[in-house]
Amino acid sequence: MKKVIHFILKLLGKLMLVVLLGFVVTFAIYMTNAENKLIYYVVRPLLNKHYDAQVRDRRIC
Amino acid sequence: MKVTDKLIASIDKKLERFDPIWRAEHGQGGQRSRYYDKTGVAKYREWRGTKDTLYDYSQWLKNLYSMGKMIVNAPIPCLKGFWEYRWMGSYLGTFMFIDRLYEGFRGYELRVAHMNTHAIVKSLTERIALILSNDKRLGGGPRSDDFLPFDEVLPALFLKGFKELIPFPHQTLPEFIICDVDQHIEPYYIDVAESFGLPADVCSRCAAETGVAIDDAFPIVGKAFLSTNMPCNASESTSMFQRRRIALPDFPVTLAMRHNEPEAKPYSTQMLKDAIAFIEKEYNVKYDWDELFKYAKLMNEQNTIELEKWDFLKTEHSALCGIAETLYRLYSWASVNGSDPYFNKVDRKVIKLMRKAYEEKYKPFGGRTRHRAFLWGPSAVYYTDFPTWVQNCWGINIVLNMDSTMGYNMINTEDPEQAIKDLAAFSEKATMRHHAVGGWDNYNAVWDWAKNFNCDMVLMNDNIACKGTLGLHAVMEEQARELGFHFIFVEHDLEDSRTVSRQDMRKCVNNYMSVVLGEEPLDPTIVEFDDSDAY
Repeated sequence: MKKVIHFILKLLGKLMLVVLLGFVVTFAIYMTNAENKLIYYVVRPLLNKHYDAQVRDRRIC
Repeated sequence: MKVTDKLIASIDKKLERFDPIWRAEHGQGGQRSRYYDKTGVAKYREWRGTKDTLYDYSQWLKNLYSMGKMIVNAPIPCLKGFWEYRWMGSYLGTFMFIDRLYEGFRGYELRVAHMNTHAIVKSLTERIALILSNDKRLGGGPRSDDFLPFDEVLPALFLKGFKELIPFPHQTLPEFIICDVDQHIEPYYIDVAESFGLPADVCSRCAAETGVAIDDAFPIVGKAFLSTNMPCNASESTSMFQRRRIALPDFPVTLAMRHNEPEAKPYSTQMLKDAIAFIEKEYNVKYDWDELFKYAKLMNEQNTIELEKWDFLKTEHSALCGIAETLYRLYSWASVNGSDPYFNKVDRKVIKLMRKAYEEKYKPFGGRTRHRAFLWGPSAVYYTDFPTWVQNCWGINIVLNMDSTMGYNMINTEDPEQAIKDLAAFSEKATMRHHAVGGWDNYNAVWDWAKNFNCDMVLMNDNIACKGTLGLHAVMEEQARELGFHFIFVEHDLEDSRTVSRQDMRKCVNNYMSVVLGEEPLDPTIVEFDDSDAY
């Protein structure tokens, strides 16, 4: 019984640690606006380069 | 006072110097101080106090989850979509868009705003995954031929009687919604259209849709197409271009334009019946009235709640306000139109909060509102986050926008003959037809709306390429003077921010507020600034 309780407590402890770490990381990304900076300065310029290089089938009909 | 409340109050006191509202009130900066010049990229997110910041963070996570779910549900189609369609790249600006929309929101207004916005994000991400998974251009899917593409200004409710089909507003994803998120996307498509000889002085929405068609950037789904008699010459023109390029059997659902005349009703009713017959023939399916009634009940519930919302909007204690009200109603009416029960769930939650806020005599924006305005504004007010800006800068609360006044009559849910008549009346009161070109009385109703919602101000967007409404400019000015409203014409070129920039639009309000009314801004950092490179 003790072993089971010990295991559950250990598991809960690890789970809380993961949640805490998850919170710290995501909250840091949120507050520093990191994802928007990455999108604006890195992702979109790369995507736009690709879009500008596309050969599209432009016609009226 | 609980211990946690004391702790939060003490943290808030210590960190209040990071709150842009506090900074503006104490002459130490404001909303704009957080941004890199021109870009619209914030150095850090808004500190709104502990509770509201954590709430905003939780909603950010919720929206992130919806986007993650979209990718997980359709990883390959989503990747292909990002690779194929320029407009898909613009959806990456969604987080920045949401942040801009709700600057300065706190307490109840922040909660209600996020509930509404998450419904839109959830719905859009599901739709993107669904259409990309079945887009024939990207390889197609099991339901490619079950899609029923239709013109986005045609309300979808009457199409819900086709149980086997997926009615899909064709222009919504590549044009209608995304132009609100990213001001740079439509100019690209406008240029494509103009490079084929389309004149530059037409409505930029129609030009952009034409550009999407010519650029071959509409997803390919379905076996037939429903177009409609869009309400102006530019719209008629883009319908023709799209018809040629899409090249599917089509049926124009030409509802009565001057629909307020009672004689128009039988015509519009017959038109819906003909459209149903066309779909039955093209898709070899049978219309199911019980299925229609199921969704009509959802729409009726949404409209019943909407009318109750209006009672609160008439007071100074409405938790729902500004862009949170108008953007949600626009999307939930024009795009969802009773087809998604999640929107009913959200409406029920929102009205509960609105009742609570009213009972508590809660005043949004910390009671900093100075004027109540009725807004007559289309897309240009969304990519400029205009309602949020006028509140934060000048204390003008946008009580209601024209987009919120679309069809609110109830649909009979027992008798098919009465239901189709109700649906015709409902469908006539749709985007554009109910606003600009469905007859002078719709346009003139702006004064009644403003009066009924206890507004002292009317902000009228003046689309410089809309020939019909340009002719009414002087008449509206005259009427405003006679009726005693503060009245501001805000010039814009709808989806082409190169002609009239966001700052040019803001300048119209700045001039009136400072020169005519002699008022001081609430936040001097957002009176004049350059955000031309922002999404």
